[in-house]
Amino acid sequence: MGAQVKTIERKGSSLQERLYLPEIFKGMATTFGHLWRNLLDNRKLYVRHYPEVQPEIPVRWRGRHRLTTHEDQTVKCVACFMCQTNCPANCIMIEAGERLDGKAEKMPVKFNIDLLECIYCGYCVEACPVDAIRMDTGIFSVTDNNRESFVLGLEELLTTPGAFSEEEYKKGGA
Amino acid sequence: MADKIKLFVNGVEVEVEAGKNLIDAVGAVGIEIPHLCYHPALGADGNCRMCLVGIEDGRPPLVPACKTPAMAGMKVLLDAAHIKKIQHDVMELELINHPTDCPVCDQAGECKLQDYYMAFDQAESRMNVPQVVKGKKMDFGAGVVHDQERCVVCGRCVRFCRQITKTGELGIINRTDDARVNIFPGRPLSNRYAGNVVDLCPVGAMTSRDFRFKQRVWFLKKAPGICHGCAKGCNITIDHNREKYKDDIIYRFRPRLNEQVNGYFICDAGRLSYKAENEGRLTEARLGNKARPIDDVLAACTREIERAEKIALVLSPNCSLEQMAAVQALAEKLGAFLSGYSDGYIKPGDGDGYLIQDDKAANRAGLGLLGIDCSREAFESAVQQAQLLINFNNDLTRSYKESDLKKLLQGTKVIAVSSHDTPGTALADLAIPVASYSEYAGSVVNCDNILQSFAKGLSKNNDLADICAIAVQLGSPLGSPKERFALLQQSISALKDLEPDKIPAQGLNLNDSEAANVTA
Amino acid sequence: MSLLDYVMIAIRVAFSAFVPLCFVAVCVWMERRGAGYFQDRSGPNRAGIFGFRAAGLVQNLSDGIKLAFKEDVISAHIKHKFFFVIAPVIVFFTAIVSFAVVPFADTLVLGGKSYIMQGIPLDLGILWFLALAGFSVYGIILAGWSSSNKYGILGSLRSAAQVISYEIPMGLAIISLLVVYGTVNLNEMAQFQGKLLFGFLPMWGALLQPLGMVIFIIAAFAECNRNPFDLAEGESEIVAGFHVEYSAMKFAVFFMGEYVAMFASSAIIVTLFFGGYQIPFLATETLINFAKPVAFLLMVALPVVIYFFTGWIRRSNVSHYPRENDPRVFEANVYIKCFWGLTIFLELVLLAILFSTSGGAAAGIFVALLQICTLLLKVTMMIFVFIWVRWTLPRFRYDQLQKLGWQTLLPLALLNIFITSAVVVALS
Repeated sequence: MGAQVKTIERKGSSLQERLYLPEIFKGMATTFGHLWRNLLDNRKLYVRHYPEVQPEIPVRWRGRHRLTTHEDQTVKCVACFMCQTNCPANCIMIEAGERLDGKAEKMPVKFNIDLLECIYCGYCVEACPVDAIRMDTGIFSVTDNNRESFVLGLEELLTTPGAFSEEEYKKGGA
Repeated sequence: MADKIKLFVNGVEVEVEAGKNLIDAVGAVGIEIPHLCYHPALGADGNCRMCLVGIEDGRPPLVPACKTPAMAGMKVLLDAAHIKKIQHDVMELELINHPTDCPVCDQAGECKLQDYYMAFDQAESRMNVPQVVKGKKMDFGAGVVHDQERCVVCGRCVRFCRQITKTGELGIINRTDDARVNIFPGRPLSNRYAGNVVDLCPVGAMTSRDFRFKQRVWFLKKAPGICHGCAKGCNITIDHNREKYKDDIIYRFRPRLNEQVNGYFICDAGRLSYKAENEGRLTEARLGNKARPIDDVLAACTREIERAEKIALVLSPNCSLEQMAAVQALAEKLGAFLSGYSDGYIKPGDGDGYLIQDDKAANRAGLGLLGIDCSREAFESAVQQAQLLINFNNDLTRSYKESDLKKLLQGTKVIAVSSHDTPGTALADLAIPVASYSEYAGSVVNCDNILQSFAKGLSKNNDLADICAIAVQLGSPLGSPKERFALLQQSISALKDLEPDKIPAQGLNLNDSEAANVTA
Repeated sequence: MSLLDYVMIAIRVAFSAFVPLCFVAVCVWMERRGAGYFQDRSGPNRAGIFGFRAAGLVQNLSDGIKLAFKEDVISAHIKHKFFFVIAPVIVFFTAIVSFAVVPFADTLVLGGKSYIMQGIPLDLGILWFLALAGFSVYGIILAGWSSSNKYGILGSLRSAAQVISYEIPMGLAIISLLVVYGTVNLNEMAQFQGKLLFGFLPMWGALLQPLGMVIFIIAAFAECNRNPFDLAEGESEIVAGFHVEYSAMKFAVFFMGEYVAMFASSAIIVTLFFGGYQIPFLATETLINFAKPVAFLLMVALPVVIYFFTGWIRRSNVSHYPRENDPRVFEANVYIKCFWGLTIFLELVLLAILFSTSGGAAAGIFVALLQICTLLLKVTMMIFVFIWVRWTLPRFRYDQLQKLGWQTLLPLALLNIFITSAVVVALS
């Protein structure tokens, strides 16, 4: 059993190609074509007019995190630390405590996500056994001028709403 | 040494120790037979049926391995189809009423039920009726929280209370799928070893109130250590973890098997003594009452030592042998009197003849071995004559009332080389922080004359020096661990022919070796 | 010396000092927006003052302000701080001074006196340029060496070897050119190119010395450390090369030096091969004699050009997404009004020339201005070629670069000298 060998023709050995300049001029003609087309009508640029025109965020887009809640606005998270365990960037820091409202035994007292360290891989969402953490806020741009404000706390994670309806989210493959 | 016999497991010949049951015998050579209710310290109960194996000698097709002694020539079947099926079926049975709340269960990660599910079951539940509702989060007392739903009714905890502590607080009530472990009404767990039921429980039914929700167990780093709570020197596992941006912190002590010393268990007081390693520590060097860089304080100590005509040294009975040797050498060099006076560490009548001892110091036997004077009269007269007292981690407030101590130390400057910020340390003129026993390596001799060595367990962010190192800084000539060990070899005959790393893991029984030396 | 002499000296020095500086902004703008358009994106176009973006020129202003106010870091490991600081100055200074010998108009005769329109009226001409172009590499070497940085020293060594390699074909290409022109004086070269070849072609160096032109342009790219010869920077392998340790204004000086060098190179290329300030078919004499018809032609042509240009502005300067009361339409209207205002002003100037005495000082100044504009237009086009090449070609490998210099350009340049000499000897 031999590996399939595909011989690829080596280009660039003809005289015209070896002279180099004609090929350079060809390339320059191509780029100039683009410049000229765009100069004549700048609507043809392949750009999004970003701050004014926002990108359309698909349901499966991994944006900033949020913590979901039960219907009565109490936190779904049971502080099982699965997300923290699974996080490859070590950006999740949880402190667990006793839960007394009967929904579960355990709940997070502190739930910090350091967005400066987060790599938005979505492993936390996959690891969560109770669908408590999601990345469906549609927030893709997080800016601030100090490091501390990039550490999201429990309050902020809980109050951020999801950008999609439950049906859309489920259909998106979650 | 027990006799060896040969038997066959899955057709492969293995050599095991005679006189044990199959689980222990085969387990010792690395072949695991799953079991929930059997525990070597508690004996076979045979209720969980997880250890059923086949033996090809005309017996019934399934026999419980925990109740079957290992015999020569036995042909044990572990991977036959009917054994696999019974293991799978037993797991399914155990899990019928199990709440599978692993996300909130502290046992997750060290849970036998989880392990066996992954190894033998891995199937979805076929239950289509509601699960039996039982008590959750029940306070059993003594820091034990019980969850009846998670319980697999193996009865280890019940047997522990009956056989080991002989207090019998726990019992199994009701029958079949309603069977549950409970206490008698108004009679909570009230023995001093109750914490062991948490370790014994193969699942998450028994959890510790103290450790509850503090950490997930897979984050914990495990370091072997020796408990310094009393003279028994129980072997422990130090479970510690350095969380992100935080210090390395001990979360719990668990017993570590040492047949010679403590067996499988430790007492509750020792279990909770980890807290003292985290809290109340002296972390900065002090000059008077002000925190100063340690080098400044050490320089001030050296000046004080030069100035003082007579110096007294006092040593904690918790120090390791190496530390004692280093301090002893320092005392010799300074011409100072070295005392090990620490009567306050002894609580008469507290011991129970099992693990807990009257003497709450880990290495009093070491003081004796090195010939350090421990009498009160000698200590007091030495202090009264001396201008300077260097206190190596001896909490004198245990031996004296604070007013008496102040009176005694009048006119004497005190350098406290201390791991903890005790009232006694606050009285000192100079204070130097040192590592505590989870942060240094050393060896101690327990009440039964068993010498055990232990390694450094964890490194704090602010990694403090060992008493040995401080003694060397103050002028002790024993600069290296080798020199310290050589001095120990002079004092302790059993160590003569041993290298420092050759001390057996189970500890070196000095009684035996001394007896051996005498006869030789 | 009369007052006029002083004024003329001031004007010429100011011209050759400030025009390259002003062109830095134009170059950077062309580079960044051009790069965008070459690659089907728009380039920086968001910075604006009260919504006026000047097609992205405001971005340059803000970048300049940013660089000026940034913290100027000199790392603690840099021992030779003097050389570290002087290095960008050398690069920048040599680049500016090398432009000083480029004539931007023909000799201007005012009040019977003739003024050579160069920053420094030297006869050295092309030799001055060669000397200074070689000198600028000292700045780069000093920068790399004093940075005490491996990437820095690698970048500067690459740069040094490259400049040595390409100075030789460049010098040889000039030799054959000198054989043709018979002079080293750049002004005389420009005047030479005002003549006609075979009676209908402008006698430009590009036509007389096509091979020399190719060699010289390639070498000029290499001297400027421009793509495809920018191995001294080599972002992908040596981070930024010689200026990796530089920050803030010191970096900005390097950056501007690069663009000034590009401007000076373009000016030299234009002067040597593309007729310098000469308008094709219209030599200086002709222009002065026919100043009024030319002015009249311009008066007609200018509004037409502006008409189409403003139409393009109106089409381009709008928001390409639904927007109410699009402020960019208002912005475009302001620009269009400005351009028409400028046109009216220029028309008035041209009208004044129409009514001035023929052949006088006004005609001379008019012709000089026309030639300056011509030169700047040609230089701008040459800069565009620089940018165009940068955004088309990938970077050479270092062995390829040296091979091209020594094994291709050097023999070709020598061959060119032989052929040129033979032809010149045969013709004379």
